[in-house]
Amino acid sequence: MIEAAHITKWYGPTLAVDDLSFSIPKGKIVGFLGPNGAGKSTTLRILTGYLPPTAGTATVAGHNVTKAAESARAAVGYMPENNPLYLEMRVEEFLQFRAKLFRLDKKTTSERIDTVCDRCGLSQLRRRVIGHLSKGNRQRVGLAQALLHNPKVLILDEPTAGLDPIQIVEIRKFLEELRNDHAILLSSHILAEIEKVADRIMIIRKGKMIADGTVDDLRGKAKGGSRVTVETQAEPSAVKSKLEKVAGVARVETSSAAGWCRAEITPKGEGDVREKVLAAVTAESWPTRGVGQRQVSLEDYYMQVFREMDEAEHKKEAKAT
Amino acid sequence: MRHTLTIAKRELLSLFYSPIGYVVLGLFSFGAAIVFARSFEPGAPATLREPFQFTAYFLIFLAPAISMRLISEENRSGSIELLVTAPVADSAVVLGKWVAALTFFLTLLTPFVVFWIVYLFTAKPMPDWGPFISGMVGLMLVGGFYLAIGTFTSALTNNQTIAFLIGVFIICALTFLMEYLPRQLSLAPKYQKLMFAIDVNRRYADFARGLIDLTHVVYFASGSMLFLFLAGMIVQSRRWR
Repeated sequence: MIEAAHITKWYGPTLAVDDLSFSIPKGKIVGFLGPNGAGKSTTLRILTGYLPPTAGTATVAGHNVTKAAESARAAVGYMPENNPLYLEMRVEEFLQFRAKLFRLDKKTTSERIDTVCDRCGLSQLRRRVIGHLSKGNRQRVGLAQALLHNPKVLILDEPTAGLDPIQIVEIRKFLEELRNDHAILLSSHILAEIEKVADRIMIIRKGKMIADGTVDDLRGKAKGGSRVTVETQAEPSAVKSKLEKVAGVARVETSSAAGWCRAEITPKGEGDVREKVLAAVTAESWPTRGVGQRQVSLEDYYMQVFREMDEAEHKKEAKAT
Repeated sequence: MRHTLTIAKRELLSLFYSPIGYVVLGLFSFGAAIVFARSFEPGAPATLREPFQFTAYFLIFLAPAISMRLISEENRSGSIELLVTAPVADSAVVLGKWVAALTFFLTLLTPFVVFWIVYLFTAKPMPDWGPFISGMVGLMLVGGFYLAIGTFTSALTNNQTIAFLIGVFIICALTFLMEYLPRQLSLAPKYQKLMFAIDVNRRYADFARGLIDLTHVVYFASGSMLFLFLAGMIVQSRRWR
């Protein structure tokens, strides 16, 4: 549905997007991550036809965004950064205006407005002036206009920016409902959010793709992997030597507090060692409370990648000088 | 074309939603009425020449005030992005905005129709229709031209005030500067002639007198097209900047 092939964008002497290639099929939600100024919005603007790429090609729903600009734009629903709307208009008026721009006929227009208002929770607010709505409701209007012409591709630039936790959950549910019929590309700063909703994540840094994969792929790449913890009443040194012999365990660190020994176990590779760990401690008849696993979050991976890259760059610079 | 009208309709709506629309409407009607009342006396000729001339001068500020927000506001809020990522041509955006501003300006001219009706009922002999019609046509042409300039300056920036000031400056250059420079400087006659030819007020004076000169019509129409074209180029310039 969305294909980008080697897209590059220069703003004068500044390189904003550097040879990005990716492909997003129907039915997928892809999260687009990166720090401010990494080129996320520029990439989205290229895909929506707002800006042409300096080099490379982008196609949405089979239409080249520069050569078949109008049909490409008709296939995309777009919510730009900061969700700009005409604040003086009423919700319904605004949606009617957008419908005309997308050449929907009268019957389709009224049907679609009913549908999107219903879906975005705007049915009670149709006659309200947009400028009088709360930020969350304006966000709904932004989503409603993006969905109005039933586009195959949805491109949302920070759809959850500035929303409260309840509203963020609503948007997430909403995107999940839309997943089946659309290809969705959304950018965000909120890693925890993206982690929950996206099937796949692309991370860019200084215009370059530095990671592209499913949430699990990226978590797996994080150093350290997941950790298993167990708390038992026994000598820490005994616990350590016992657990280190369990198959699949790479390393054990122990600490004790109030008579309990807490062991943190780093497994070898991806395997789940909880069962074996539990079997080992019960075989010794040590009183045990709780075996747990701490998942590495996307944030761990994100921070790690950026720290490594920054350090590498500093070293390079230091060498050069 | 359909998109142009759709955009024009929306723009007109927001012109009438904004307080500045009514301020402009009120101030203009007030000014025109005062000028009309001064020329409305026994024995005086029943023409609207003076209010027409007044309007031509007033338009120097009025037109940029109407047009200053057209595109600059879209640039500022970012809604331009939403507008041009719909399957709409950039030219339809510019043209639609200008049509809206022109329509708003034409509603400003309703006081003239009222003044004219007053003359029709009070003046003897019947006033001459010719100068009224030519004066109105002239105002539309000058208004269209100035609003095209205003649309262009509005596309240049995301600040309404700057758009207004640059607009006033350009229009002043096309009126006062062209009127006074040739007199103040001892220029070669061909340059003098050129400057007089550019002077908008000199051309409008003919309309106010009752003369529709085709060269004036061509001047205003092509001037409007030039600035609308430039505005289109500015909107499009994001693509190659």
